[in-house]
Amino acid sequence: MSTQTNTEVKHYLDAMRDALSDLPAAEVAEIMDDAGAHVVEVADEMGDEFSAAALIDRLGTPRAYAEELRVAAGYPSPTSPTATGDRPTILARFALWSMLAATVMAFGFAITRGDMEEAAFLTALCAAAATVLVFRHNGLMAEIAKLSETVAIKDALARVEKSDIGKAFASLRPFQPLWWIGRALLIGAGGVLVYRPDLMFLVALALAAVSLLAGPKAKTDRRWLWISLPATGFALGVLLVILGTLANRYDGYPVSSSPVSYNPAPQTHDNIYVFDKDGKPLTDVHLYDEEGRPLNAPWYGCDGDSRSDNRFPRPKVVHDEQGCHEEPGVPFTVVMPTVPTTTTTAPITSTTAQPQATGTPSLAPTTTVTTTPVVTPTG
Amino acid sequence: MDTSQLLKGVLDLAVLAVLRKEDGYGYDVLRRLRQGGLDGVGDASVYGTLRRLYHAGLLTSYVVPSEEGPHRKYYSLNEPGRERLLESGKTWKSFARTLDDLLGEGA
Repeated sequence: MSTQTNTEVKHYLDAMRDALSDLPAAEVAEIMDDAGAHVVEVADEMGDEFSAAALIDRLGTPRAYAEELRVAAGYPSPTSPTATGDRPTILARFALWSMLAATVMAFGFAITRGDMEEAAFLTALCAAAATVLVFRHNGLMAEIAKLSETVAIKDALARVEKSDIGKAFASLRPFQPLWWIGRALLIGAGGVLVYRPDLMFLVALALAAVSLLAGPKAKTDRRWLWISLPATGFALGVLLVILGTLANRYDGYPVSSSPVSYNPAPQTHDNIYVFDKDGKPLTDVHLYDEEGRPLNAPWYGCDGDSRSDNRFPRPKVVHDEQGCHEEPGVPFTVVMPTVPTTTTTAPITSTTAQPQATGTPSLAPTTTVTTTPVVTPTG
Repeated sequence: MDTSQLLKGVLDLAVLAVLRKEDGYGYDVLRRLRQGGLDGVGDASVYGTLRRLYHAGLLTSYVVPSEEGPHRKYYSLNEPGRERLLESGKTWKSFARTLDDLLGEGA
């Protein structure tokens, strides 16, 4: 074989190797052993008539040769050979970050009850574009999987999965369909409870339906995460709003005027003791708010079940050697002040008994505590 | 009718068949197929098929150094390969008979 022939054949083989470069290196070496030798042999047979054009005429282009071999061998087809340059990386990055931003924004939008409308609208637009992209661009998911941030996120998730929290979550997996339904309900509820029944309400209902579909789909097709994750963000936000509203209601705060949904719940009291003007403790008192609604609050007795009523004081739950028992009565006495204007000052309390089982731990037993007088509302 | 379409389904069987009596390297196999009358078979298809049958455990391979030109990788039929050839051969014969019957005198 002449040097000229050698170079031409080498070019052909290099192009062929290039077209197979996505396969494992060992397999490419095997193929080149076989088919490479074949190309050399064919070129040799041509003798003086050899030219690059003649070789291609006989065997096809190196790319076509590689493709035919690939199909016959049953190798996977190359991953989007047109995906060249930086464009797919930029698109992949845009799609990934839009999805993450949409998840955070959906959560924020829900807990602020629709504040930050412009930012939310912008993010929603980006997320919608990203969703269309991942569904229409076939190679994009592979590109996204290759991004360094995706790898980092996956690593972090894998670490969490191995931890105890991850294992606890894994045990909840059978209940996942329940969450999908719950999520759809929460999104629907978001439309009804949080916003006025205008366009947002319809959007929420549509999203609820789509999220119901996205849950099971996302398990096998990661593209559905672009719908599933923002839906989860929004649903969690709505859940917090609902919980916050309920907590506020129990604490007797006006619900309707609270513009911000999630305050850290105000200090709750485990028990309430009521005394008359002579300092005599009152038992079996039922409390109501200004609209006549019972001030129900949950509490736990010895049976461990949560009960909810407005009867105070609750029996004290004591755990000792005999087990758990509920002790009725009032664990301390109060000395009522002798000041005639009793309506403006709070009684001075002194603890004389053990602290309540569920009470403030800082209150030491049998110490006399004098509280600073507090002005009580006069109505 | 384009025979290349027919060939796709039976190339495995044809390659196994030409390796039954004698081991061969890729170009050998290709020549035997062509000599046997399968003119339309593509070079790359034969090499791809050899790789697939090899990965399926129906062929074993060994390399023979050559004095002129590159060394050659020979393929030989192993026991599973022979079994497959027997099995696929029966399937083909019964299929061919069925089609013959269907065509009857018309063809």
